[in-house]
Amino acid sequence: MDLVVNGEAYRHDGQATIADLLRECHAEAGRTAVMVNGDVLRKGSFETVRLSDGDHVELIVIAAGG
Amino acid sequence: MSAAPADWLDPLPWLDLARVADPSMVERSLRANEPGVREFAALLSPAAASRMEALAQRALALTRRHFGRAISLYAPLYLSNYCPARCTYCGFSAGLRIARHKLTPAELEAELSALKDLGIEEVLLLTGDRATVADYPFVRDSVRLAAARFPNVAVEVFPMSVDEYRGLSVAGCTAVTLYQETYDPVRYEHSHLSGPKRDYHSRLDAPARALAGGIRVAGLGALLGLGEPRFDLLSLFQHATHLRRTFWKGGVAISFPRLRPEPGGYTAAFPVDQKFLAQAIFAFRICLPDVPLLLSTRESPRFRDGMAGVGISKMSVASRTTVGGYDLETVPSGQQFDINDHRGVTTFCAALEAKGLQPVFKNWDAAYREDTASVRAGNARQI
Amino acid sequence: MADGLKLGDRIFSSRLLLGTGKFSSTDAMIRAVRASGAELVTVALRRFHPGRPVDDVLAPLAAIEGLTLVPNTSGARDAGEAVRAAQLGRELCGSPFVKLEIHPNPHHLLPDPIETYEAAKILVGEGFLVLPYMPADPVLARRLEDLGCAAVMPLGAAIGSGQGLTTMSMLKLIIRDASVPVIVDAGLRSPSDAALTMEIGGDAVLVNSAIAAAENPELMASAFAAAVRAGRDAWKAGLMPQSDVAVATSPLTGFLAGGEAG
Repeated sequence: MDLVVNGEAYRHDGQATIADLLRECHAEAGRTAVMVNGDVLRKGSFETVRLSDGDHVELIVIAAGG
Repeated sequence: MSAAPADWLDPLPWLDLARVADPSMVERSLRANEPGVREFAALLSPAAASRMEALAQRALALTRRHFGRAISLYAPLYLSNYCPARCTYCGFSAGLRIARHKLTPAELEAELSALKDLGIEEVLLLTGDRATVADYPFVRDSVRLAAARFPNVAVEVFPMSVDEYRGLSVAGCTAVTLYQETYDPVRYEHSHLSGPKRDYHSRLDAPARALAGGIRVAGLGALLGLGEPRFDLLSLFQHATHLRRTFWKGGVAISFPRLRPEPGGYTAAFPVDQKFLAQAIFAFRICLPDVPLLLSTRESPRFRDGMAGVGISKMSVASRTTVGGYDLETVPSGQQFDINDHRGVTTFCAALEAKGLQPVFKNWDAAYREDTASVRAGNARQI
Repeated sequence: MADGLKLGDRIFSSRLLLGTGKFSSTDAMIRAVRASGAELVTVALRRFHPGRPVDDVLAPLAAIEGLTLVPNTSGARDAGEAVRAAQLGRELCGSPFVKLEIHPNPHHLLPDPIETYEAAKILVGEGFLVLPYMPADPVLARRLEDLGCAAVMPLGAAIGSGQGLTTMSMLKLIIRDASVPVIVDAGLRSPSDAALTMEIGGDAVLVNSAIAAAENPELMASAFAAAVRAGRDAWKAGLMPQSDVAVATSPLTGFLAGGEAG
């Protein structure tokens, strides 16, 4: 399916759960926060929430700053 | 003494300091940048009494900084002297046989006109304790009538509920004055023999209820001489600071009613002389520099002239403590206490001006207050 | 603990908070955090880029015992963005704290009072312990406190400006009237600025640029910690008053002589 991840076009070929996407991107589930179409997802929902074609996904991590 | 009546009211830890502070503590308190209850207590002490001129100078400087050279003037108007309460010190006590009267609307209008003719722009409406003939509706209706003609209407009546205070505010009342008389529950009980006024706690919380109900200024005071003065003054200080912290959008003002010997009248258990009264006023000015401090015509002309602008920022003038009394047609009635400054508005203003002070009859911020606009519009439609 | 900093239902012994940005490396930042004794540090949120691993700060920070991470919403330009950022931060940091920072102007980075107020209202309702970065405005401070913010964070000067406590007179008013902790944030340049903040009754300071941009950040961090402790102790000890020059006028109390007559 075609997604927009962090503002860029992205083609996902997996099982379409958030957890799959994170694995594909080599992002650690425990260290990444996810927004889908503007909604912040709760930790623990990554294995169950399914993506759809055209979804906008943001992958957010902690960085130095603030 | 039993547990403090409220968690913010606890003068006891400071009472010793107020009784025996040493000169160096007084000195530090005079100079403190952010004086608190500790400094206030020290300024009430006998050691501070020997530094009266220094206290006065500091009070003068702070009054000038926060109030300029202006003295705000108002007049009291008693609406009724009916009273169910028996307070040992009061001329309206239910136990006294005096002429009782309550102003009719027409009489009220006449009194208001007389005050307007004197140049007064702020009126303080008073009654006795809550009485069947002079209850909340009577006060509210009187406020409404007064607010149609005066930009500032204050009341000094009886403790009310938040809803009643809200009703007064909507009717055009900008300030509520209510003296606790004494903050000492034991002395309070001894002084208030019967009537609704027996309820110490309801009275204590009333200023907070007024501010919660939208009244802009809560006027506080203790009747000096009724209880131990330093105890009451410390309590009053704590009351003021508590209300300012809780109701940051509202204000407080402090008055200094003092029991004075009157022929055939009540003898104060803890008489306060002029010098200590002045010291108390200076202490309040130094520690609460931006709070209006009021002095009534209960005090002598000499004292009032001396204190104007030196701590005191607001004063009543040309007062009557009978019901009505400004209009020549007024029905005679018993008065609440003796007046000692009988000077009329013109004479008093001249005395202030001679001291370099400007008498102010404040009327400007009413122009943009929504409540005043609607009251005036409402009254205009009724005429 | 005696004299702890109370935020929400948590109590902290250190009154120095650190920002983790602008250091030369993660390693330098971690050493500075350890040297500072800070128990609260702010962190930023960034996009994770597939294929471009971000230098992980979560793990090294998590290794510091007793450290609570406070996500910062910086980058948000309005309340809606800040709320989303706070929610993301909560997922990542596992703490209820959020430093609410909304500065739409990228030049001076001064906080937007209106968006900050709106965001605080929403976030308090969602159970966050909100630490709002705000202009040094005493009325706004009371309004944010009334909303239920866990503290207020008035600025000393613009972020990174190093101008010190340009807002001193306003800070004193805020401190005087606040019932929640006042944490002065932004603009502090030197440990003496931090000490001064504590001497006037501030509850804590948040420092970032002054430490990160120092020649020796680790040493500067411990200097700031010492200054915060010194300033706090000085405040508790009761500083001697500044003398007010009395205005010499003629005597004022002559009218009191001679007793009650007249």
